[in-house]
Amino acid sequence: MIDIIQVIVSSPFLQRALFAAVLVAVIAAASGTFLVFRGLSFMASGVAHAALGGTALGIFLQESGLVPWFDPILGALLFSILVAAFTGYAGESGITQKMEVAVGVSFALSMSLAVFLMYYIPPYRVPQIWGYLVGDILLLNDFDIIMLMSTAVLLGVITLMFNKEFVYVSVDMEGSVAHGMNARMYHYAMLIVSALAIALATKAVGAILVYAILVAPAAASNELVKSVRGVIFSVFLIALIAELIGLITSFVVYVSPSAIAGILAALSYILALQIRRVRERVQTEIEETSLAPEDLVETFNQSITIEQKGDHNHEH
Amino acid sequence: MATTPLLEAQNLAVRYPNGELALHNVSFTIKSPSFMAIIGPNGSGKSTLVKAALGLIKPFRGTIKVLGYDSVKQASKIRKQIRYVPQRDRIELAVPMKVKDIVLMGRLLKKLPPRIASSKDIEIARDALRQVNMDSLWNHPFPELSGGQRQRVLVARALAGEGSVLVLDEPLAGTDVESQDLIVEALGRYHRENDVSIIMITHDLNPIHTLVQDVLLLKNTVIGIGEPCSIMEPELIKKVYGPTAKIVEHSGHRYCLTRDSGFDRHD
Repeated sequence: MIDIIQVIVSSPFLQRALFAAVLVAVIAAASGTFLVFRGLSFMASGVAHAALGGTALGIFLQESGLVPWFDPILGALLFSILVAAFTGYAGESGITQKMEVAVGVSFALSMSLAVFLMYYIPPYRVPQIWGYLVGDILLLNDFDIIMLMSTAVLLGVITLMFNKEFVYVSVDMEGSVAHGMNARMYHYAMLIVSALAIALATKAVGAILVYAILVAPAAASNELVKSVRGVIFSVFLIALIAELIGLITSFVVYVSPSAIAGILAALSYILALQIRRVRERVQTEIEETSLAPEDLVETFNQSITIEQKGDHNHEH
Repeated sequence: MATTPLLEAQNLAVRYPNGELALHNVSFTIKSPSFMAIIGPNGSGKSTLVKAALGLIKPFRGTIKVLGYDSVKQASKIRKQIRYVPQRDRIELAVPMKVKDIVLMGRLLKKLPPRIASSKDIEIARDALRQVNMDSLWNHPFPELSGGQRQRVLVARALAGEGSVLVLDEPLAGTDVESQDLIVEALGRYHRENDVSIIMITHDLNPIHTLVQDVLLLKNTVIGIGEPCSIMEPELIKKVYGPTAKIVEHSGHRYCLTRDSGFDRHD
C-alpha cells in the first residue's frame, strides 16, 4: 500500500490520471444524471463520436495548412456544441424520440466525416483520431487537465445553480414554459454544457469509456435511488470507484485502466437491475400477504362453513 | 362595469405540429372569473386551443387573448397568471421526483433561481395535498403512484401555485372514482373560496357539469358555447360525438353519454 502511494507521489502521470478520474466522475454526476433523466443517454455517445470527427477536421485543417493555428481540440468542442444545438433544436417541444434521431444523424455524420478526412491526413497523425475512441487516462498532459478541470468546475457550478430547472425541463417541459420559466434557455444550456464536458472527457478517457462512465452509473443509480440529489451523489461514487479500480488494476496486471473502468461501470447497471428485481419480488410478497385483511378472511371462512353446512343438510 | 374577458378568440386558426389544421374560424368570448370547461371528442383541438392561449403554439391565423393579453406578444404576462397542468402522460416518470417535489414545482416555477422553497411554500403545498387527500404521501416517489393518485398530485400542484387562472388538461382522464370525486370537489371548493378562474379540458362533462359556468363545445371549430344545460342538447352532442351519443336526464340534470376515452395526443 505504501509502495503504491510512493509511486503515485513520484509519478506526475499517475497524479494527473487520478485527478482526471475525479473530474470525469464529477462530469458523470452532473451531466450523465440529467441526460439519463431526459432519456438522452445516447447523446453521450453521439457527442463523444462527434468530438472524434471534430478532431479529424482539426488535424486536417492543421496539416493541409488551411488553418495552421486550429488545434484539434477546438474541432472537437465545435462539433460537440453543434451536436448539442442540433439535438436541442429537435427536442424543443420536449419530445425525446426526436432528439434521439437527431443524435443518431449527427453521430453518423461526424463519424463519416472522420473516416473521409482520414484519407487526407498524414498517416502518423491518424492514431491521434483513434485515441479519441479508446483514450488513455495515463497519457494526459497538464493542458488536458486544466481544460478538463475548467469544464468540470463550470458544469458543477451550473448544475448546482440550475439543477431544479434542469429537473423541471426533464419532468414537464410544457408546464415549465406555461408557468413562465425560460425552459428553452435551460434546455440548451443543459445540452451544450454537457456536450463540452463530454468532449473533453472523451479526450481523457475515450469515446467508449465516456459512454460507459456517463451513462451506466446514472442508469444504475436511477433504478435504485429515489431522489435527484441521491442519484447525483451515487453516480459520482460509482464512476469514481470504477475508475480508481481501473487505475489500480492497470498497475498489477497489464491492462488498460479505461477498459476495466468501463466494464465495472456497465456491471454496476446490471447489478442494479438485479437488486431492483429482488426488491420488487420481496415487496410483492409482502403485499400479497397483506392483501387478505382479517375481517375478509373471516367472511371467507364463514362463507365456506355455511356452504359445508348446506351440503351436510342436503345429504340428509 | 365590464371586466376583461378570461378568454377572447378572434378568427383563430391553429395547426398541429404535423401541419394539419386543428382549429379554424374560432371566435368566442368567456367572461372572467369563470369555471369553464372545454369539451369535445378526441382530436377536436381542445388541448391545441389551450396551448395557443398560453403561447405554447403560435396561431396560424387570428388571435387569442387571455385576460386581455395577446398570446403571442404578451405571453410572459399571461404566464405570470397561469397555473398549468398538462395531460398526465406528459409528465416524465424517469426522474425520481417525490410527491412534494411535484407540488412545490407549482410554487417554485414562479420564483427566480435558485428557487428555494420557504416554509410558507411547504405549508401551502401540504395544504394543497390535503385538499386531494394525498398529504400522507408527501415523501412518496411520484412515479410509483397509481394514475389517479398522480393526477391528484398534479391538481394539488395547481392549487398550491399562484396566478389567477388554473388550466387543467384532462385532469379526470383515466382516474378512479375516488380520485375523480376528490379532484372535482377540490376544484369546486377552490373556485368558490378564491377569486380565480378555472379552465378545464375534459372529454366528459358529467362529473363537473353542476360546477361549471361556461362550456365551450369544440370540434375543430366552436360548435356551441353557453351554460352546461344549453350545451347538453341532443342535436349539438350528436353533431360532435356522432349518432351514438345520447343525453340522459336524471334528477333534474342532463348527462351526456359518449364513447369517448379522453386520451389523445398530437405530437
